[in-house]
Amino acid sequence: MASLSTSLNMAVQSLGADTAALQMTNNNIANANTPGYTREVADFQEVSVTSGDGMSSGNGVELTGYQSIRDELLQRQIEQETTAQSGANAQQSTLQQIQPAFATTTDDIGTDMSALFSSISSLSTNPTSTSSRQAVLTAGQNLANAFNTASSTLTSQQAGLNTQVTQDVSQINQLTKQIAALNPQIAEVDSTGEDAGTLQDQQDQLVLSLSKLTSVSVTQSNGGVTLTTGNGTPLVVGSQSSALQTTTGSDGMTHVLDQNGNDITKTLTAGDLGGTIQMRDTTIPGLSTQLDTLANQFGSAINAAQAAGYDQNGNAGQNFFTIPTTVSGSAGSIEMAISDPALVAASSDGTSGSNGNLTNLSAVQTSALPSGQTPSDAYASLIYQVGSLTANANAESSATAASLLQLNNQMSSVSGVSIDEESANLITYQQAYEAAARVVTTIQALFSTTMSMGTASAA
Amino acid sequence: MRVTNMVPDMQYAMQQSQQALSTAEEQVATGLRVNQLSDDPSASANLVSSLAQSANVDQYTSNVTSLQSQMQMADSSISSIVTTLNSAITAGTEGANGSVSSAQRQEIASQVQGFLTSVVAEGNTSFSGSYLFGGSEAATPPFVAASTTYTSKNGSVASPLSATTALTAGSVTTISDATTGETMTFKAKAGNTVATLQAAVASAVSAGTLSAGTSATINASGQLQIGSNNSADGIVVGSNDAALGTMTAAANTAVANAYAYVGNSSVNSVQIGDALSVATNLPGNKLLGSGSNVIGSLGSLITALQSGTTAEIGNAVSAVTAALSSVSTQRMPLDNTIGQLESQDSYLSQEKVTLTSQQNNLVGVDTADAATTLSQDELQNSAVMAAAAKVMPQTLLQYLQP
Repeated sequence: MASLSTSLNMAVQSLGADTAALQMTNNNIANANTPGYTREVADFQEVSVTSGDGMSSGNGVELTGYQSIRDELLQRQIEQETTAQSGANAQQSTLQQIQPAFATTTDDIGTDMSALFSSISSLSTNPTSTSSRQAVLTAGQNLANAFNTASSTLTSQQAGLNTQVTQDVSQINQLTKQIAALNPQIAEVDSTGEDAGTLQDQQDQLVLSLSKLTSVSVTQSNGGVTLTTGNGTPLVVGSQSSALQTTTGSDGMTHVLDQNGNDITKTLTAGDLGGTIQMRDTTIPGLSTQLDTLANQFGSAINAAQAAGYDQNGNAGQNFFTIPTTVSGSAGSIEMAISDPALVAASSDGTSGSNGNLTNLSAVQTSALPSGQTPSDAYASLIYQVGSLTANANAESSATAASLLQLNNQMSSVSGVSIDEESANLITYQQAYEAAARVVTTIQALFSTTMSMGTASAA
Repeated sequence: MRVTNMVPDMQYAMQQSQQALSTAEEQVATGLRVNQLSDDPSASANLVSSLAQSANVDQYTSNVTSLQSQMQMADSSISSIVTTLNSAITAGTEGANGSVSSAQRQEIASQVQGFLTSVVAEGNTSFSGSYLFGGSEAATPPFVAASTTYTSKNGSVASPLSATTALTAGSVTTISDATTGETMTFKAKAGNTVATLQAAVASAVSAGTLSAGTSATINASGQLQIGSNNSADGIVVGSNDAALGTMTAAANTAVANAYAYVGNSSVNSVQIGDALSVATNLPGNKLLGSGSNVIGSLGSLITALQSGTTAEIGNAVSAVTAALSSVSTQRMPLDNTIGQLESQDSYLSQEKVTLTSQQNNLVGVDTADAATTLSQDELQNSAVMAAAAKVMPQTLLQYLQP
């Protein structure tokens, strides 16, 4: 049977539900700009109907809890795209630092190579000129320096990337540890039937951070999230995390090992770690080999041309450049073998005024090296490769940035906090609260009226 | 679609717009479309060979300029020689006249001797430290006054050189003969002795490289003596053999009006185009020595004027006339080269323009296009900023405020 007390209880219950909803709205607004925050909605539910005396009456409202609005599929897509972007960014960043060493407008290998041939040609007009001979040596020294500088740029980038591998692995281990620690906490909250929104948000953010470092495969189960690397190496299972290890390999580079000590370096191909390893172990060695080959073959060709002639003293030409016997490391260690201008083998017959052998030295410019290309063409190929790799990394980075923006917008559309929406909710709950409070006031008045009924008749 | 936060979109739009603006500004500021290899890898690679070609063209132009001075100097020397020879012919013709007295002939002879000295001086012209008519032996004057006898610095009565004295392996001894116009070059090998050199001299005499009567002997002072038993045959001997020491002309053995050519026949060539080289020197033996007989004919004319008959003087004048004709023939390739240098200079200027234009097409920017793009990007950037400023402050709360 309906009573004022029942109505009062309903009103008080309504006040509580609205207060809780207002608190939730407040929380949404407060976290509107918190990265990874998933908006919550109030889960209002009508209290069971009471039946009696042939009629049913409602019993008001109750707030059963809050519900985080999330989309797991979108979250996984964002993680994958983040991995792709980090990999592209790692390559882009390295290549942009390598690129200036191969510029075509300043003191680069191509310019210095041309300068060497110009100095040789200039010497041919006056083969006895000491200053012209010195100019050939200076141009040779500049070219050797340019090779050394380009090689050193590649080597120092590779060393920096090697350090990055250790740092990335350390961060991965830290993140997997934190993710694993959250698994039992989330499972515990889930078991109570409540929404583990905040903990889930934290874990999603940690997985997203992990995705920046390497490609991870995410599986949800009762025990929480299970994470493996792209090739299936377990990282997090339940409350356990498996730490990756690092060791220095026979190549002097840092290698990544799984928990069983297996070398998984080659399988790590995505994320910042994958991009870093790709640059360190494939891209830079490829460029270095090309550069070393050019330095070695060019140096050998010039030395062979020198040997075909005679220096100013009438002796057979000595080596012009000192180059290692193996191709590897040639660009880094090529240097001038002679410092006396008289030792430039300009003469073809041993007389000091002959310039016959300068034709042989000049011919190196237009003759194919053992690689099948002229020195200039071989350098142009290297230039193209560096430019092309950088352009591809730039394009990949831009494309993934655009794609990631779109995915984040979609995620925001589902899980993001809209201040406008929350403002409207605020008013709604405020009005509901005011209405419920008015009900309380009304019932209070009714109580007073009821109570004063006896007093009036007594008077 | 539910829109919750426009900030990321705005930030992305601003970033994109500012990047485009920055690129446009860089292109206008540098005048280049390709500022980094990644801007256009293919153009960057093509630029390498274009720049190399440009550097070559610059150097060819520089070579042409340098050679023009050298060639003009050589031509000027030959021009002087031609003038001198014409004067010698005039003087000789005058001397061949039967009415000219003996005293006048002696005077003409000394005049012609002056012409010979002048011709030899022109033959020893140098440019930037190199002798123009010495072949590739450009460090020493190619025409040297000859003597009949040269002796070595080493060797004495107390310690004489002998046939068994070992020579220094790798050392070079040269004997240039003024009469034959040839040079014998002896390069000592390990185990060679003075006897080997003596045999080589004998062989050279047999071969006609050296005049008959030339020999290498050990004189009474224990020195190596190289010389001729004919007072009219002059030689010039040089050696860098430490075992022999410097070879010097013996006193009072100079042969009048005899000059030996100590240069060689090598011709240097210099590249002035990708497939174009020019000879840069004219060996003196061809120009003035045995090739044209300029020095020999002038020497004969002097001798004829001093002691010959009118007929002999006439014959000597004819020989000088023939030598003049030979010099003129020798001069023609030089004049052709000078002409070639001039035309190549103008070709290289055009080539330079073509390459610059090619490079501009590869990496340069069309200024009008770049300016228009910059203007558009500025406008777009302003629009993005204005939109952001308009949209971002808009919230429902603003309208709900009392």
